[in-house]
Order: sequence, then structure tokens, then C-alpha cells
Amino acid sequence: MWGSGILKGMAITMRNMFRGPITVMYPEQKLTLPERARWAVAPRYDEEGAPKCTACLICVNECPDHVLNLEVSRTAEGGKHIDRYVYELGACMMCGLCVEACPFDAIEMSHEYELATRDPHDLVRVLLRDVDAASARRAKGGDDA
Amino acid sequence: MSMALGILARFGAMLVLLLVNGVMLIYMLRKVLGHLHLRIGPNRVGPFGLLQTTNDVIKLLTKEDLRPASADAWLFNIAPFLIFVPSFMAYIPLVFGPTLAVTSLDTGLLLAFALTSLVPLGVLMAGWASNSKWSLIGGMRAAGQQIAYEVPLLLSALGPVMMAGSMDPVKIVAAQSGVWLGFIPRWFVLPQLLAFVVYAISSQAETQQTPFDMSEAESELITGFANEYGGMRFGFMYLAEFSNTFVVSAIGTMLFFGGWQLPWVATPAWLAPFVFIAKTYTGIFVMMWARGSLPRFRVDQMLSFCWKVLIPVSLAWVVVWACVQRLWPVVAMAVSR
Repeated sequence: MWGSGILKGMAITMRNMFRGPITVMYPEQKLTLPERARWAVAPRYDEEGAPKCTACLICVNECPDHVLNLEVSRTAEGGKHIDRYVYELGACMMCGLCVEACPFDAIEMSHEYELATRDPHDLVRVLLRDVDAASARRAKGGDDA
Repeated sequence: MSMALGILARFGAMLVLLLVNGVMLIYMLRKVLGHLHLRIGPNRVGPFGLLQTTNDVIKLLTKEDLRPASADAWLFNIAPFLIFVPSFMAYIPLVFGPTLAVTSLDTGLLLAFALTSLVPLGVLMAGWASNSKWSLIGGMRAAGQQIAYEVPLLLSALGPVMMAGSMDPVKIVAAQSGVWLGFIPRWFVLPQLLAFVVYAISSQAETQQTPFDMSEAESELITGFANEYGGMRFGFMYLAEFSNTFVVSAIGTMLFFGGWQLPWVATPAWLAPFVFIAKTYTGIFVMMWARGSLPRFRVDQMLSFCWKVLIPVSLAWVVVWACVQRLWPVVAMAVSR
């Protein structure tokens, strides 16, 4: 019938009216993020609280935006030592390729989404600082695998 | 002296009603549109965001009164008032109760339609005087649209006028008291359903609400004819738009829904204005509902719909109803004989 589309559309909006809002009062109320939500990159730690990163540099090479940078030096025993693991949050597009590429499950896409800062320098984060890489600790016999 | 005071009091009451309506309708529009779209609407200023509109009014009042350097100063300054004053005066023929009206005019309905038809002049003036492409396009669209939809609006009002035998809103409302066949309220909407549909569509167009808001069309013309206006001049245009919404809804209530009368029971005089306002606001809610549901027409679709569908239909209905009303007594007499 001519005009039935209008009635149908108005029925839909009226139904919406009684469904109640799907928005929440954001700063006071927050929705739980879905499991696979991708936000800022964060390092992962093992049971003892040591970072799982082996400083293999795969994530650094994989990143299409070149936002990850690992400054690595050698320990006296010949293992790897992470001086700084730098993450430029402001240039990251949260594609998650670094996390997919990591063979050691050492980084993750965290659910931290309130990323605005007052100071642009806060957009460059140091994820790890002055810590032995996991491979160096394994070389010392601290961990099997 | 007392007559002058009476007139002043009436105009004061009209002005207060218009301003309160403006504030209420803006809040209502935001809330209704919000909930139609699964949102909340204003909720920050005051409880339930009630003070949001008050804040907006304060903002409009305190803003700088700007005028583009290349605008036509005289026309630019006068246009908002030319839009505002007719929509303010259109409150004159509204009947809020058996004894509650600004005045009783034999041609009240005609006055209301005549006043609302002055609005396109101001709109066109504003669009022209702003010396901006968008404003001019908006103004031209508004003029074409409002002049076109004026015709079916008037023709659709003719049915109820014929039934009541008068153009006086007081008499039109009075003619709708009582019941048909013992239980159907004598509201003109039932026999005049077609006229009511035409009235509803053309009043939506007359007040430039979506789906007929080509003259302001946020997404293409920003705010159309009001583009170059700021501060309270814009406020006047905005207010006039909401006041027009109230007026067409109130006229629709008087023509088709029995005005201030409750169905079936006698309406006490103190309750009448509340009934009238409640009916009018229900009408406004339906207009907002359509506004929140339907996408905007294209300009040519809108105009051809008016000239090719609405006007012929309403003209035909006027002829049909005139015949029915003239022949009904004859037929009834012939049958009973």
C-alpha cells in the first residue's frame, strides 16, 4: 500500500522509544569491553612478575607504523638486556599485528581506552625499562622452555 | 483604562505562553528525538537536563549580535521580527476554554492562517538580506514550500468549517460537543479523516519540520535562511518555528479533536485549558515522532507531492463533502418517507 513504508518506519521508532536508551552516562557508567577489543599495547608478565619479552625484535620489525622500538644491550653473560621498550601511543593505530607476531605471548592489546592526555609527551610510553630479557634469564637457568 | 489593561494582560499572557512553550518544546524535542533514536537526550544541566534550554536561552541572549558586512542591513535586522510577530499574533484566535480566549472573532481561523502565511515573507527576506548562497537557497525553498502547502492546509480546514457552519473557532469547538449514535464523540476527525491527514501533512510542511525541512536542511544548508544570524535574532527565528508548531497543532486540535472538550463527559471550565494543552502537546508529539522517523524529501518531490497529490485530493474532498452535507437531509428525508 502507498504510504505503508512511512507507517512501518514510524512503528520502528516508536518501538525504539520503549526499548530505552542504549547509551550510558559515560564518565559515571562504563560498558564492559568485548574480549577482543584492541587498545593500547601493554607488556605481559610471567608468574614471578618478570616480563615475558625476549627482545627478539619481531614486533619492532612487524609494526607498520614504526611505533615500537627496543633498545637492547648485551649482559656480561652474553644474554639480552632491555634498556628501554618504547611505544609511541600517539602514532599507534591499534592494528594488533605486533601482538599477533609475538611468538612468546609477551605483549597484548590491553583494554585501556581512556588514552587522552594533556601533555603530548605522555603519548610516548616506556613499556619496559632496564630489565633482563626473558631469553637471558633462561640462559642463566632460571626457566626451562 | 480597564480595556487597555485587559488588552495588555491578554498580550502578556500570550507572550508568556509563547516563551514557556518555546522552552518546553525545545526540551521536549531533544528528549523525544533522543529516545526515538535510543539515546538519552539532555541530562547534564539540572535534574533530567531540565535546565538545558534555560542555559541555551541565556547563551543566545548574551551572544554578540553580528551582521555580515555585505548584508542588507535594514532587511537583515527586520527579518527576524517579521518571522516572529505573525507567529506570536497567531495565538489570538486560539480557544483554551469556554471562556478562555484572547478574543472571539467570526473569522478567527482565517486570521490564524493569514498570519502564518506571512512567515515565508520574513524567511525570504532573511535569506535574501544575508547575502549568502546558503541563506538564499534556504529562503527560496522555504518560500516555495510554505506558499505551496498553504493551499492544502486551508482547503483541509474547509471540511470542519462546513460542518460547524462557522469560521469562528469558538463555534467550531462548540459544534463538536456531544456524541454521535450515543457513544462516538462528535469530533470532526471521524467524518473528516481524509481532511485531517492532509492537514497533518501540510502542517508538518508549514512548520518546516522533517521530512519537509529543506529550508534549513542541516546537512546541506547548515541552517538555511538563518545561517548568518546569531544571538537573539536567531533565537527569535527558532522561537517562531516552535511557536508555529504549537499554533498548527492547536488549530488541528480545535478543528478535528474537539478543542478543549473531553469526550463523553462535560468539561469543567477550570479543566478546559489543561485538556486543550494536553491535546495540543499530543499533536506536537506526533509531529516530533514523524520528525524523528522520516528522512528528508527532495525539493522537487516535496513540491510535486503538494501540487499533484495534496491539492487535488483536498479540493476533491471539499466538493465531495459539500455534496454530502447538502444531500444528506434530502436523502434522510426520502428514506424516512
